[in-house]
Amino acid sequence: MKQIINIDINNEVHEVAVEKSDTLIRVLRERLGLLATKRGCDSGGCGCCTVLVDGQAVYSCMTFALSLEGKKITTVEGLRHDGKLDPIQQAFIDADAVQCGYCTCGIMLAARQLLNDNPHPDEEEIRKGISGNLCRCTGYQKIVDAIKLAAASR
Amino acid sequence: MSELKIIGTNVTRPDAYDKVTGGKQYPVNFSLPGMLHAKILRSPYPHAKILSIDTSAAEKLAGVRAVLTYKDVSQRPFTPVYFVPAQAKSMVQDFVIMSDRVRWTGQPVAAVAAVTVDIAEAALELIDVEYEELPAVFDAEQAMQDGAPQSWQNATNNIAKNPTFACGDLEAGFAAADHIFEGVYQTQRVHTCYMEPRVCVADSDTQGRIKIMSSMQHTFGLREKLAFALGIPESHVNVIKPAYIGGGFGGKLDIGFIEPIAALLSLKTGKPVRAEHTRGEDFISTTRNPIKVYLKTGVKNDGTYTARHIKSILDCGAHATHGSEVIMVHGLYGTFFPWKCANQTWEGFTVYTNNMIGGGYRGYGAPQGCFAVESQNDEICEALGLDPLEFRVKNTHKEGDPHPVLPGHKLNTYRLQECLEKGAERIGFKDRKPAGSATGSKKHGIGFACHPLWVSGCVGFPDIYEHSGAVVKLNRDGTADVVTACVDIGSGQITMLTQVVAEELGIAADAVKLVYADTDTAPFDAPTHASRATYSAGTAARAAAAEAKKRLFQAAAAVMEANAEDLVLENGKVMVKGDSRSAVPMTEIIERAESPFIQMTDQGPVPTTIAEKGSIIGAASMAPASNPSPCAAEFVEVEVDTETGEVKVLHVVYAHDIGRLFHPKSAEGQVEGGFQQGMGYALMENLLFDQETGACLSGDFLDYKIPTAMEMPRRIESIFIESIEPTGPFGAKSLSELCTIVPAAAIANAIYNAIGVRVRELPITPEKILQALGKL
Repeated sequence: MKQIINIDINNEVHEVAVEKSDTLIRVLRERLGLLATKRGCDSGGCGCCTVLVDGQAVYSCMTFALSLEGKKITTVEGLRHDGKLDPIQQAFIDADAVQCGYCTCGIMLAARQLLNDNPHPDEEEIRKGISGNLCRCTGYQKIVDAIKLAAASR
Repeated sequence: MSELKIIGTNVTRPDAYDKVTGGKQYPVNFSLPGMLHAKILRSPYPHAKILSIDTSAAEKLAGVRAVLTYKDVSQRPFTPVYFVPAQAKSMVQDFVIMSDRVRWTGQPVAAVAAVTVDIAEAALELIDVEYEELPAVFDAEQAMQDGAPQSWQNATNNIAKNPTFACGDLEAGFAAADHIFEGVYQTQRVHTCYMEPRVCVADSDTQGRIKIMSSMQHTFGLREKLAFALGIPESHVNVIKPAYIGGGFGGKLDIGFIEPIAALLSLKTGKPVRAEHTRGEDFISTTRNPIKVYLKTGVKNDGTYTARHIKSILDCGAHATHGSEVIMVHGLYGTFFPWKCANQTWEGFTVYTNNMIGGGYRGYGAPQGCFAVESQNDEICEALGLDPLEFRVKNTHKEGDPHPVLPGHKLNTYRLQECLEKGAERIGFKDRKPAGSATGSKKHGIGFACHPLWVSGCVGFPDIYEHSGAVVKLNRDGTADVVTACVDIGSGQITMLTQVVAEELGIAADAVKLVYADTDTAPFDAPTHASRATYSAGTAARAAAAEAKKRLFQAAAAVMEANAEDLVLENGKVMVKGDSRSAVPMTEIIERAESPFIQMTDQGPVPTTIAEKGSIIGAASMAPASNPSPCAAEFVEVEVDTETGEVKVLHVVYAHDIGRLFHPKSAEGQVEGGFQQGMGYALMENLLFDQETGACLSGDFLDYKIPTAMEMPRRIESIFIESIEPTGPFGAKSLSELCTIVPAAAIANAIYNAIGVRVRELPITPEKILQALGKL
């Protein structure tokens, strides 16, 4: 039984018909073609699918779409403003924090929430802020560097 | 050579912008109109015969378009490993896509294509399979016993492969020893944990040709193995090279079940078919083989080796696949040849069990060997009171020595001693405290390990492909396009190839672009594996760029009325060497080369010459000249909580003879990421299986823990030693795998230094620490 919901993604309202069991990642990737949000495990374990819901980082594979009526969702497609990269995106490039890059979108959004809540985090706060996200390439060092760089560039 | 402009600098990764803005080009994002979705039914039993299989109910389900069983697939066995021919003599051919005999829990027995994933999954439930259960065995040594359950008729005692190497006189060597050390070192099954699942989309045309996109490490390997599995000519398979993939680490170095299944379902339905692993399916695909190493070493009082006997037992699971090569690499490069010992015997066993199939994983048999040998080396030094740094130097190779594995080759560049000395100095090794002397409940320790011999590719290995190719095309705007089948698996191949071509042509890095490639249009390239891409693919790319430059000079010679041999290319300008007034922008030469034969200008028609005409391109397809050895030493400081058994790694110093450092930040990234994998291996990662059913119990990241940013050390320092290898492109050797080979042994030795008790089995969990301390 499908229900129609209005869902605000990156400041654009989409009308989508969803099943009760439809997760946010499914709606993003399979209905709306928003492919920046990656599926890594579908079980809340890797963080590749992290998005912001009302500014809070959540796993979109563990979030039912039906719960999102009236909420504001941000994905990586919504991070760029007027063609300009978010400071976090630029910092990930400048710090060489991207290897295979599959975890990058999720981690950047976890970092976005962190910097929104705490503009000048120390290293431990940064590490804690991204501890819900796995990366298998970088050992996180350059990611931590990138978030420090983004914080400094504000 | 000394005035490199691009190599050695931190150029921006060409793929980074795309990846931070969403990364559209991962295979997981690839789709085609009208695409169907495939799901696989897997065996719930570790060993069984299929008596009957009834798919009629599944076929009738609305939305199902096709069902496959073993009856639809070729029963001609092959090796699915990408880097060797499908029927390579050095490998064991025992692999088919589906069969009426299942040998591990999770083996595919049927597959469905449907209009949605949900329908395909629902259809799996409707397939009725009748099994006759057979006895199973999950431990390699039990499997070697007489009377153990046999998976394969022709493998006596379940031994798939039993290679040996020997030198000198073992008995005399042990007789000459002042001390003999014996130990058993056990490693576990771990997964690469690439973040992008294995995924593919296969499409067929009306003449039975296949086009396929897949998340894998080898375009041409997939072409060959898929053609073999389907029984069609290779030229009927076109593999699209993904612009990048979401990690590989050796875990995508063989054809999976999904590619042939998707291709067969596409042939059956005429539709494109997509198949994507769940994380649970990924966890039962291609893991690092567990190896148990029995190690006996004889030494003189001064620490000189006199004899060594090594027996390595590798659990390859239900099919030999990678296990028939991992055992060789483990023997050659993991245990036997890294160390200098005149009297040695190594015996390897690749053993069938009813566990999941092992696979490739960064280091390919060497992490297991390094853990064993370097743990024991530490024990020897401790027991005899020897300087552990001198001990390593004494028993390893020297620069200029003959290459221990490759006849006719030398260790042209080899700086292990420098790695050891610089690493030791940086971490303050001379001040480390005696083992177990730390007081308090949280004890600090420092330890290290080195790995004295590794590869920069596969020259010298029987049956292993080792050549690369590239086509470089210069554009009229002064940029260069590069066609190569080399896959960037996350470790920076795009950046490296860009740097090589830009350096050779004397143009900016951002003027070079890697363009679309597939197996129809690009020259062959061996896989991105074996730490080979920079040394091997870099060699071919440099040669292709040099060819293009030569062609540019031919055209320029006609335009400039000069000899091609006298020309040089600098900063985008062609000039007669030493005469900057002669400089002509390369864009002008390329423009002339590609212009109409006669150009109308304000001054009237200007004819050009035949010598100027034609696109400026260069192509190369070649194997590299050698297989130089990098080497590395890693020092770590740990804190062991003797109340909880928890180990924290505090500080890491890694020193590596890299040949030439191409991109300092990327190189550090390899070290840091390599350490994350090695630390997971050392302390926490372990795929667990139900010992009754063989079912994997670690099906997601909640049950299979890998280090997060919180567990990782706060300081990882890299020291790169540039020995400038004469056979490498711009002096390069290799980097990637050693970064993962040494950490486990280094951490184990640091733990010993902290608590004075040795753990010889990975992972070194809190439980094992407490047991070692007699607290459990």
